[in-house]
Amino acid sequence: MTRVKRGYIARRRRKNSLTRNITQQKIRALVSAHRDRDRQKSDFRRLWITRINAVIPEKEVYYNYSKFIHDLYKRHLLLNHKILAQIAILNRNYIYMIYNEIIKNEDSKEYLEMI
Amino acid sequence: RRQTGAALNSDNRPSGAVATTSRKALAGLRRIDLDGLRWRVFDAKGQVLGRLASQISTVLQGKDKPTYTPNRDDGDMCVVLNAKDIGITGRKLTDKYYRWHTGYVGHLKERSLKDQMSKDPTEVIRKAVLRMLPRNKLRDDRDRKLRIFTSDEHPFGDKPLEPYIMPPRQVREMRPRARRALIRAQKKAEQQGVTTTKNGKKEEEKVELSA
Repeated sequence: MTRVKRGYIARRRRKNSLTRNITQQKIRALVSAHRDRDRQKSDFRRLWITRINAVIPEKEVYYNYSKFIHDLYKRHLLLNHKILAQIAILNRNYIYMIYNEIIKNEDSKEYLEMI
Repeated sequence: RRQTGAALNSDNRPSGAVATTSRKALAGLRRIDLDGLRWRVFDAKGQVLGRLASQISTVLQGKDKPTYTPNRDDGDMCVVLNAKDIGITGRKLTDKYYRWHTGYVGHLKERSLKDQMSKDPTEVIRKAVLRMLPRNKLRDDRDRKLRIFTSDEHPFGDKPLEPYIMPPRQVREMRPRARRALIRAQKKAEQQGVTTTKNGKKEEEKVELSA
C-alpha cells in the first residue's frame, strides 16, 4: 500500500527514465530553433558592438563606441557593424583611418556652420 | 634575474617570509592555459578603489581586445601592486562595512573597511573586482588570473610585464558646502600661520628645547 499512496509526486519519482517522449522533444527543438533564429541576429549584433567598443578608445580618451557610431552616421557612412567588427579584428589600423577621416571632416563642417 | 630582493632557495624558489605570499601568488598558474596572454601591471597607489576595480574587470574579461568571445575566457593576467595605498573617498574607511552571514541564525558578521585594510588589503580590491565581474562559469577562472600584492614586490619579475595606464579621471568639482568648509579651513590655517610668525621666536625656542 505504501507504494501506491502519497499521490502523484511519488509516482513521478518512481519513473527514473526520460519523462519526455520523442514528439515533445522534437517540438521543443523546433520552437527553440525558430525563436533563436531571431535571437541570433541580436546576439551577433551585441558581439560586434562589444568588439568595436574594445578597439575604439585606443586613439583618444573619452571616445567610445557610441560617439564613433554617431560620427559615422553624421557622415552618412553606411558600414554595418559586422564589417566594422571584422575590420577591428583583422586590420586594426583601418579603424583608425576611418576615425581620422571622420575627425577631419568634423572640423571642417563645424567651421562651415559657424560661418 | 628577479627584480625583487627576495631571498631564494637553492633551486630558485622563494624562501622565508616572502615564501608564503609568493607561493600563494604562483599558486594556480599551471591551471591557466594560453600563454598568449599579456601581463598587465596596475599600480593602485593613489587610485580610487572602485574606478580602478572597474578598469581591472574590463581587462580581466578581455573586453579591451577585439577578439572578445563571451563563452571563452581570454582576459589578460592582471597584477595589482601597492594595494595598501589604495584611495578611498568620503567616509568609507569607517562607514563601509563588509557583511556576510555564516548560516547560523543571528550570525550576521560585519567588518569595516579600516579593519579589513589592517587585516588584508588585497581582499578589498579582490572583492571589488570580483563583484564587478559577470556571475557566470568563467568568474572563477578570471579570479585566478588576478594577482594582488600589498606592496611593490612581486615574484613575476621574469614575465613580460606591461604597465597599464589609467585613463585620466574627471574629478567633479566640490559641492558648495564642502568647498566653503575647505576655504574656511584654509583661512584658519593661514591665520594660525600668521600668529605663529608673530610669536615665532618663542615657539622656535620651545621646539628646540623639546628636541
